[in-house]
Amino acid sequence: MNSAPLASLAWRLLRREWRAGELRVLLGALLIAVTISTAISFFTERLERSMTVQAAEFLGADLVVSSGSPLPDLYAEHAQNQGLQISRQVGFNSVMASDATMQLSSVKAVDAAYPLRGQMRIAEQPFAAEKTVSTGPAAGELWIEPRLLTQLELEVGDALEVGYASLTISALLTHEPDRAGDFYSLTPRVLMNLQDLEATGIVQPGSRVRYRLLLSGEDQHLSTYQQWLETRLEPNQRVTSVKDGNRQVGRALGRADQFLGLASIAAVVLAGVAVALSAGRFALRHFDTSAMLRCLGLSRRQVMRLFLLQLLYLGALATLLGLAFGWLAQWGLLQLLRELLPSSLPEPGLTPLLVGGATGLCALLGFALPPLLRLGQVAPLRVLRRDLAPMPSSSWLIYGLALAVLSLLMWQFTGDLQITLAMIFGGAAAALLLGLLAWLLLRSVAGKLHNLSLAWRLGSGELLKRPAAAATQILAFGLIFMSMLVVLILRTELLSDWQDQLPADAPNHFALNILPSEQQAFAEQLEQIGARSAPLYPVTPGRLVSINGEPVRQEVSKEAEPDGQRGEQDRGTRAINRDLSLTWSATLPPDNQLTAGQWWSDSTPDNAVSIESELAESLGVGLGDELGFVIEGQSLSAIVTSVRQVEWDNFTPNFYMVFAPGVLDGLPATLLTSFHLPASERASLRGLTRQFPAMTLLEVEPVLEQIRGILKQVTLAVEYVLVFVLLAGLAVLFAALQATLDQRLYQGALLRTLGAERTLLRRATWLEFLLLGLLAGVMAVVAAELATWALYRFALELDWAPHLLFWLLTPLTAALLIGCAGVWGTRAVVRQSPMRLISRGA
Amino acid sequence: MSDAVVIARHLNKVVTTSEAPLQILSDVNLSIQRGSSVAIVGASGSGKSTLLSLLAGLDLPSSGEVLLAGQSLTALDEDQRAALRGLEVGFVFQSFQLLDSLNAVENVMLPLELAGRRDARQHATELLERVGLKARLSHYPQQLSGGEQQRVAIARAFASEPAILFADEPTGNLDAATGQKITDLLFDLNREHGTTLILVTHDERLAARCERALHMQAGQLQAEQAV
Repeated sequence: MNSAPLASLAWRLLRREWRAGELRVLLGALLIAVTISTAISFFTERLERSMTVQAAEFLGADLVVSSGSPLPDLYAEHAQNQGLQISRQVGFNSVMASDATMQLSSVKAVDAAYPLRGQMRIAEQPFAAEKTVSTGPAAGELWIEPRLLTQLELEVGDALEVGYASLTISALLTHEPDRAGDFYSLTPRVLMNLQDLEATGIVQPGSRVRYRLLLSGEDQHLSTYQQWLETRLEPNQRVTSVKDGNRQVGRALGRADQFLGLASIAAVVLAGVAVALSAGRFALRHFDTSAMLRCLGLSRRQVMRLFLLQLLYLGALATLLGLAFGWLAQWGLLQLLRELLPSSLPEPGLTPLLVGGATGLCALLGFALPPLLRLGQVAPLRVLRRDLAPMPSSSWLIYGLALAVLSLLMWQFTGDLQITLAMIFGGAAAALLLGLLAWLLLRSVAGKLHNLSLAWRLGSGELLKRPAAAATQILAFGLIFMSMLVVLILRTELLSDWQDQLPADAPNHFALNILPSEQQAFAEQLEQIGARSAPLYPVTPGRLVSINGEPVRQEVSKEAEPDGQRGEQDRGTRAINRDLSLTWSATLPPDNQLTAGQWWSDSTPDNAVSIESELAESLGVGLGDELGFVIEGQSLSAIVTSVRQVEWDNFTPNFYMVFAPGVLDGLPATLLTSFHLPASERASLRGLTRQFPAMTLLEVEPVLEQIRGILKQVTLAVEYVLVFVLLAGLAVLFAALQATLDQRLYQGALLRTLGAERTLLRRATWLEFLLLGLLAGVMAVVAAELATWALYRFALELDWAPHLLFWLLTPLTAALLIGCAGVWGTRAVVRQSPMRLISRGA
Repeated sequence: MSDAVVIARHLNKVVTTSEAPLQILSDVNLSIQRGSSVAIVGASGSGKSTLLSLLAGLDLPSSGEVLLAGQSLTALDEDQRAALRGLEVGFVFQSFQLLDSLNAVENVMLPLELAGRRDARQHATELLERVGLKARLSHYPQQLSGGEQQRVAIARAFASEPAILFADEPTGNLDAATGQKITDLLFDLNREHGTTLILVTHDERLAARCERALHMQAGQLQAEQAV
């Protein structure tokens, strides 16, 4: 028989099988696999795109090219040819003067296109209601930060000179999107129109000016452009993309990405278990068919081909349906979340469809193929001797194939080999160990059975008679619970991590330039207005000029480094190209951790300094190195005695260099702190600025809000994906249980014909499934702990601690769930005529 | 012996058990003429079903040789034997062996479809009408009585017009009256198609309707009695 009729015969047989209801469980399991991975992939992709858009607001664009000298016109032209939006801006520092005083300010001249992403907020008066605008000041006008207005003792509507140009202050700038990434810059902002720049006469050859080209557009165009650009970049030109932007947001997005990836994997594991069990059941129920086909003249290979073709058809069907369901599921989810999500979510791409499709095929190959291969091994003699079952497929084949497929899928989901290997090896080792344990346990109990009551013996008998089969079931259910548990644990951990990162009372103001003589009064005043303050740190601006006597490397050599090292290099570059805020402290600042060396002690040298770990790494500085500084024209050298890890995300003053007390004595210093002030108390800031006129107040609440907004969305995504995984887990649980019920129904019916009472059967059934659930639950929690430990340790870099509550809850929940589901699934035993069940099972 | 369709020479079947090797068949020799009907009878455990499985090529002897339609089964591999079965052999079993997921007409269609026959459904319908199941075409095995299931199985066995029909206790699961009807049907069809019928049974009345009866005892073929 050639292959064409075999293909059509396979299709006809499949249709007949479908009509007879044989395929529903298998199709259901496959459908769940494809639906979940498609839905999660869709949802993740759309949300990720949306969050990237929001993160872009921190840049005011998707991509920024900047340089100390004018950027070639070609850059802008090429961008426009590529269909990208562009905006030009020029930034420089300039002293603003009024009749009363002078203030160094950070001026930004922008064109009409600014900002490309996000919006600005302006106000008519300090602390008055804000208005959202999406273009900058008109020509001839200026927007300045409220604190500058106070410092210069001017009013809105007054004229202010910028270089040779006299411009009118038309509004107060309270928020600019791309300020967020750079809120440590201390000089107040002045925003002007690019058209007025020439009139100021400030920008001359040699003046310190930063030219920026802002770009936005579609991902594809952007990455093409970025590739084009990379080859042309001069050493003094720099590219910043969304990914290099805000640290808090970047970290949260990265973690959320990992979580969603893991959730997808959990979903695939879940579906894989269901597919494996139902394919096993399908195979078992088709041994006779296989034997009969062999009697009717089909060769071993033809029988195999027939079943594989059926499987393929089924897979294709499940994949198509699953893709549709997956799309519907994410659509429904987004409809539900509409209130909480940004108004316009980017449309999804095609990737999720590919992911979903690949999942379906892989699940089939990895989980359904091995059981089905047995069908080719059925001896034709089975038509005469029903007891002849084919040899089980080699467990190497089954688990090897499943593991390989899982690794592949996981790698695709996470894009992270480390996390993948951690999960796979952790999971496989745990499963192996626990399967063995379950088997040993069952075997050791089997011998002591005869002392138990009949219900116990019947209930546990099913598990104990065939410990290997029971261990497989426990493993399967254990895996289901483990997948759900890992996702649950991870979600809890992530949420609390984000909460820790930005607690409700995170400092939302920085106060700088507090005079030492005002220290006491300032602290008291803060307390009085109800602000929660970080310690006050003395700050002296200084520049790092040498390391062990060698002058530090120049900017040019740094920025010429290849792309991959840019982030770290940048830190070093920035540090040595500008004044650092130097401080001293007797105690280690809170949230700082020593990674090398000792904090000050009696044996510390007099000129000791403690350096931040990432800077130390990028500068190549270690313990005992000598650093040279220039502070207020004076040279000073210090020995590195410790390296500190700093929480940069915590909105409190953080320092690259902390000196030992006494080293900076005699040098001029001001004080710096950050504090949290509830929004309701904002009015009292006016009094504070009046009382301490020299102080600079920096509001970071808008930044916090922006970050909180994004975290809230990520949190939502995580929560909903969790619910999705849990629901899928339950669905799979039922499907999987269904696949194991045939034998139980048959045995129950047999017992009833032998005169067993319904109560006895019900008790035995309860006992059996409770026991099964309990064992699966214990296994799940052990495996989940191992898996999370491996994940935290090797992939997420989180601290791991045992989750004791889950040790109690998981086995109980598992026992109850499987108990109820099992009793419900086998209710036919006590309700239907035993004769019908026996004739079905025979 | 020129028209012998099944020939067995010095058949032995030994299975290894945990204790000692068990001789199930010892030195069985037989020859069956094309178009004849032969009953293999004997008590349970006498080896008659094993003999059937060897003659039909479902299993291989420990030693000896079976010629089926002129082909030596020992010289063929499993797939070649399967092909030979598809071409020359039909089966009827004690437990009917219908596929649960196929209805009556689909069960009968199966061998025809495997042979690539385009008129499978029509031919299967005719066969089911012939065995008196015109009203049961789309019923699933579970919805049929034992006698009806065996009729479907017989229709399926004759569908591919085999040269040889092996029947293993075809009436074993049926009551006497139904068994009688099935037997009638089997012999009627056998006559109509000129098939060689080889059946295993311990039902003496069924055996009596065959042209020859081969008695098995403790794995050995007893001297043939004239019927």
